[in-house]
Amino acid sequence: MELKNFGSILNFAAELEAGDEAFYRCVAQNPACVLYKDIFEELVKEHKQNEQKILRIRRENVTEMMLEPIKDFGRTPFMMENGDAGRMDFESVLETARKLEIRSEHYYREAAEKVKALPEVGGELRRIGKKHVIHREKLPNL
Amino acid sequence: MAIPVIKNYINGEWVQSGSTTLGDVWCPATGEKIANVPYSTKEEVDQAVQAARAAFGEWRATPPLSRARYLFRLKELFENSFEDISRTLVREMGKAIDEARGEVRRMIENVEHATGVTTLMTGYCLEDIAKDIDCYAERQPMGVFAAIAPFNFPAMVPWWFLPYAVVAGNTFIVKPSEQVPMTQTRIFEVMQEAGFPPGVVNMVHGSKDVVNALLDHPDIEGISFVGSTPTAKYIYKKCGETGKRVQALGGAKNAIVVMPDANLEKGMPSLITSFYGCSGQRCLSGSILLPVGEIGKELREKFATAAAALKVGDGLDEKTQMGPVVSAQHKKRVLGYIEHGIEEEAKLILDGRTIKVPENPNGFYIGPTIFDQVKPSMTIAREEIFGPVVSIIHAKDLDDAIKIINARGFANAACLYTNSGPVVREFKYRVKPSMIGVNIGIAAPMSFFPFGGAGDSMFGDVKGHGREIFHFFTDAKVVITRWI
Repeated sequence: MELKNFGSILNFAAELEAGDEAFYRCVAQNPACVLYKDIFEELVKEHKQNEQKILRIRRENVTEMMLEPIKDFGRTPFMMENGDAGRMDFESVLETARKLEIRSEHYYREAAEKVKALPEVGGELRRIGKKHVIHREKLPNL
Repeated sequence: MAIPVIKNYINGEWVQSGSTTLGDVWCPATGEKIANVPYSTKEEVDQAVQAARAAFGEWRATPPLSRARYLFRLKELFENSFEDISRTLVREMGKAIDEARGEVRRMIENVEHATGVTTLMTGYCLEDIAKDIDCYAERQPMGVFAAIAPFNFPAMVPWWFLPYAVVAGNTFIVKPSEQVPMTQTRIFEVMQEAGFPPGVVNMVHGSKDVVNALLDHPDIEGISFVGSTPTAKYIYKKCGETGKRVQALGGAKNAIVVMPDANLEKGMPSLITSFYGCSGQRCLSGSILLPVGEIGKELREKFATAAAALKVGDGLDEKTQMGPVVSAQHKKRVLGYIEHGIEEEAKLILDGRTIKVPENPNGFYIGPTIFDQVKPSMTIAREEIFGPVVSIIHAKDLDDAIKIINARGFANAACLYTNSGPVVREFKYRVKPSMIGVNIGIAAPMSFFPFGGAGDSMFGDVKGHGREIFHFFTDAKVVITRWI
């Protein structure tokens, strides 16, 4: 499905954050991940904060002058199956988490380019994208 | 499910109107009836005025900073209910959800701007205007003011006036459009939590009788209005007869000039938004596309291609780029103008009459429509259509374009697409409309600048919001003192 306007880009970003938050919440409860429960719970909080920030950006930056339609941007390349995070083994959790964070960082980078008419919004999206790089780095190495 | 009857808000209470005359409120996307609105009586208007009058004394004595704190609370309440208000708006008015969010944002901006009352309402003084004599001028609130609001911005327009009037120490009555009463009702429900003293803010629903009752009431100091030019003229005249202050913002027929050096690729998205945003139902919408010289052919082709690609549908669907028009009656009116264009032999190059929205076959949809080879004398070039219908008039040069713009009685906004500074200067120097956009399709001033046109688009001396709005809602009292 195409992302044709400012609101839909940010809505999808909020959906991605909510999905990631749900993933990490399950992972934090997964017995296979008990050694790193604190890290995953921290990631839950951060994704929740990202979601709230995106909704605030959407509220504060949609103005009459900026309803210009956006082209050539869609959801499909960024959709991912997360699997059953509560039952995965630890290696699978890490692999899925890495892919999610790479996906999100990629989305924010592209989304920031699409909202060039609003440089402050583009800046915020790039900053959230960088957080996903940091998240990926927080994931423990095997 | 029972169809609700909207209530009035008088003296801090929700009150069912005693009127037996009810209007219908429709969902433009689906064509379904969603509410009934009372056509309140003259007596109910008087109750609201008396409540506002009774509240005035204590409210005007409340320090301005304390009054501003109500607005600070209100801002947070509106932020928390932002999406709910936006979706209510879409449901009864039809615009796309992002457009509704933009409108609610502008509403909140006015609340934010009004909190600057402690600076914006100050007076001035001078010592020793003569020996031992000092003089100062201060701004004082006056009493009860009222706003009569249009259908196209059911959240925002009353808030071009209410926060300033109230923070200045006046009390207020809102009359929303009877076509879209639910949005402001939701806003007042949220506003209750801010805890304004009873009577400071009131709302009365209705139609012409309520408007006339407000205009005739001797205890109302001033009226703010946004709507059509004939009604704006009527209100301006009546207020003159009854000694009221008035700001009456009327209709528009805005032109967008595109010069040969304009960057069409970068400008096209904002051009499309200008003509088709809110389905053309805004006083800042582009209505006439005025290419100058040889850019006409390329502009027409690219514009028509972009317009034809717009997704028309239910505004609550995030994919929708253009929603329905507000009512079946308005749809018929706009379709009538398209017929006029055909009869007068303008060239119909994109026909929005045939649009189908299969998910909502009964909605009030009109697709993007474009006429080319329009002459300035044609009906579609002269009259306000207020729908997604564009008239292309080809101009020889900038001078020709400016003459076409200035020949209209309407003078609300005019926009120019160019990369030339001298062209911009000449344009803004000579055109009559008061709101000018340069490489911008919707010249919408933010809350800290004045909103309003000239000519047949504006009646009264003080425009909406901006700095000067405090002048409308206060009297300048001059005090000359000598202490001997």
